[in-house]
Amino acid sequence: MAEPLFRMARAEALRIVHLDSFVAVFHRSSGLTHLLAAPAPEIMATLGEAGLTRVALAEKLVADFDLEDLDDAALAERLDELVACGLVAAA
Amino acid sequence: MSEKGEHEGNRRPATTRRRALMLGATGAVAVVSIRPALAQTAASVAHCEIPVPDAGRAGSYVAADGSLVAPGTTGAFPGPGHPLKGEDVKNALAGGQLPGTTADQSRAYTNYIRKLQSGTSGFTCFASLQMPRG
Amino acid sequence: MRHVFSVRIGPVGFRVGSTWRTPIEQLEALYANYPRPEVPDFSVRLFPARPWRQFIRPSVTIGGDFMLPDALPLPLAQGLLAAEMGMNLQMALGQRRYLLLHASVVERDGKALLMSGISGAGKSTLSALLSARGWRFMGDEFALIDPETGLLHAFPRLVSLKNAAIDVVTNALPDARFGPLLAGTPKGDIRHLVPDASAVAAMDTPVPPALLLFPSYGFEADERLVPLSEVFVRLTQASTNYVALGERGFDALARLVKTVPARAIDYPDTDSAVKQIEKLWAAL
Repeated sequence: MAEPLFRMARAEALRIVHLDSFVAVFHRSSGLTHLLAAPAPEIMATLGEAGLTRVALAEKLVADFDLEDLDDAALAERLDELVACGLVAAA
Repeated sequence: MSEKGEHEGNRRPATTRRRALMLGATGAVAVVSIRPALAQTAASVAHCEIPVPDAGRAGSYVAADGSLVAPGTTGAFPGPGHPLKGEDVKNALAGGQLPGTTADQSRAYTNYIRKLQSGTSGFTCFASLQMPRG
Repeated sequence: MRHVFSVRIGPVGFRVGSTWRTPIEQLEALYANYPRPEVPDFSVRLFPARPWRQFIRPSVTIGGDFMLPDALPLPLAQGLLAAEMGMNLQMALGQRRYLLLHASVVERDGKALLMSGISGAGKSTLSALLSARGWRFMGDEFALIDPETGLLHAFPRLVSLKNAAIDVVTNALPDARFGPLLAGTPKGDIRHLVPDASAVAAMDTPVPPALLLFPSYGFEADERLVPLSEVFVRLTQASTNYVALGERGFDALARLVKTVPARAIDYPDTDSAVKQIEKLWAAL
């Protein structure tokens, strides 16, 4: 069974404004507004529209950031949160 | 989106400074969604929560779960936008507990932001509070 | 028997129809200085839930283009309050042209001060007091923000003063016009202050916002800066139509939050608040 691919919502569907430690995102498809705190925006940007499996995401995060606390359960939770609000799709 | 850390090609010298990132512990929250009000439905009117007034919040500290506590409370952080006053630092030092790490602080602040939402956004609570309900 | 009153308040026209004459007479007297709308944007209806309720312990059910299903009627003696609540309800449920924030607004030097907070925080009282100190009153219930321009449009309805605030304001504004004292309403005693003539005359002049305050009454004087994300979430809570406006609402709110400084102030009494406010304004 193939690992699910996590993809960011299409860029045209997102209107993004940086506030302070939060990024405000208006999701055009749903009309909903979400405020994202680290590491949510970074995870979304790393996934991109092409998407990554969870394992590949972990590897890329470690490569791109000084990731202090890589924990599978925590990463899964962060992904679930993004999937639940519709900003990331799991396929 | 947010900038990634700077790095050149595949080879990373030990001194390259990539931006620090923390995933946070399980149970933490990184997304606060603005909840829409379902105008005029009986359910949304019934679930309207009266917002709790902020009690003297200017001097408050923020506990890990986002609630406001007395200044200087152990394990809590200076409230958002409130710079640490000299005596706060002194008190913290005297108590032997300094405010925690950046990750804890940001988790506390995220929880604080989440708690600002009492009930759904805007209308439902406003109209229900303005008008006596049967 | 149908009695009708129409009034334009800022950019919004209302038509109030009532089974009873008294609330209409009161509205006509208190809004005497205001223009009449060409075409009303919203209708409010004051009517008896059952025919006999017109005469027997008469009680006013609040209706209109938009209604709340289980709202309790008010006694006829509070008919004026019912009319004002009815207008609030139409705005809260039906306004789509402007982003609404539950806030009072006053203007000075061509810029607006917004005060946002829950009932009892002092928005109405402070806006009334500031209007006696050289500020133009622009509204105490709803701040209207044009998403295209980011400007605040005045919406100067009768100022709703509650309980202790009634005496504070009647003492501070002895020459102002007040409505009748409405005792024993669901929110306690209420008295309405009529905005002064200059506020009505200038109500079609929109202005940019310059300062946003979150006042909190009953605490030792204090002040803190409010970070952007906190302002954003507080204002979505204070907006009655943020979600309905979709992306326009998001853009309007984000622009407001990023361009206007925000402070939370705690104050023990209105004198202290006015001092704090004028100091913050001078420091802009």
